[in-house]
Amino acid sequence: MSRRDGPGGQDVLRRAGEASVLILISLADGPKHGYALIRDIGELAGVELGPGTLYGALDRLERLGLIEPLPAAERRHPYRITVPGAAALRVHLDSLERVSAAGRLRLQLGGI
Amino acid sequence: MGGPPRAGRLVEGVLRCYPARWRRRHGEEAAELAALLIQDGAAAGSIAWNYLTGAAREWLTPRPGRRLRLAVCALAAVVCSLSIPAGLLASTGPAHAASTNPAPRHPLCRPGSPAPVRNASSLPAHRHPSTRETRHDRSC
Repeated sequence: MSRRDGPGGQDVLRRAGEASVLILISLADGPKHGYALIRDIGELAGVELGPGTLYGALDRLERLGLIEPLPAAERRHPYRITVPGAAALRVHLDSLERVSAAGRLRLQLGGI
Repeated sequence: MGGPPRAGRLVEGVLRCYPARWRRRHGEEAAELAALLIQDGAAAGSIAWNYLTGAAREWLTPRPGRRLRLAVCALAAVVCSLSIPAGLLASTGPAHAASTNPAPRHPLCRPGSPAPVRNASSLPAHRHPSTRETRHDRSC
């Protein structure tokens, strides 16, 4: 199944998975390390991200150039979102908004 | 009850399932993160299970270097699987069926020549042409 990308460009996060999107959203307001990411995502989305899932998503996002590691503080490695990462997140959120708006409209039209 | 140390050992054991490259990069932080989550009340078993599935994903995710190694291994396996039947065929062929000890090729023999080569003076001194000539009574 192929999907059209929005006007903002190609949605590289379309198939990245929920964890990757949540990590980017959490990093959007500043760098964080693993534990802070898990806590923040739990608060903002109510999702308990497992540590194995977290590291898998962090590695994937880093390979895509959407986040980058900062120098380690003790054992903890903070990450920050990159410029392409912020752009990709914007495109993805725009796409979600369009789908969300269309869904709400159809619910209204259907009178459900 | 020894709960936390036991949970720590469980998580450490599971972290050993990750590739060495991953352990060098995330190992210490991952162990510390697990300890913090257990302190917060998360179940050690669920953390260990999550790390275990993460380790499986890590091994199954194709990487450029790993892909090359896999290709080399596959090529070696194909070469081995082709050479073993070829070796079996060669060893069970009709030419070798009669004799398990094939006659050594005579150094003085030339194809199509029933007689020994006469120019034996060029041979090293420790070789004995007379012996060679008597041996050459048999066919090359």
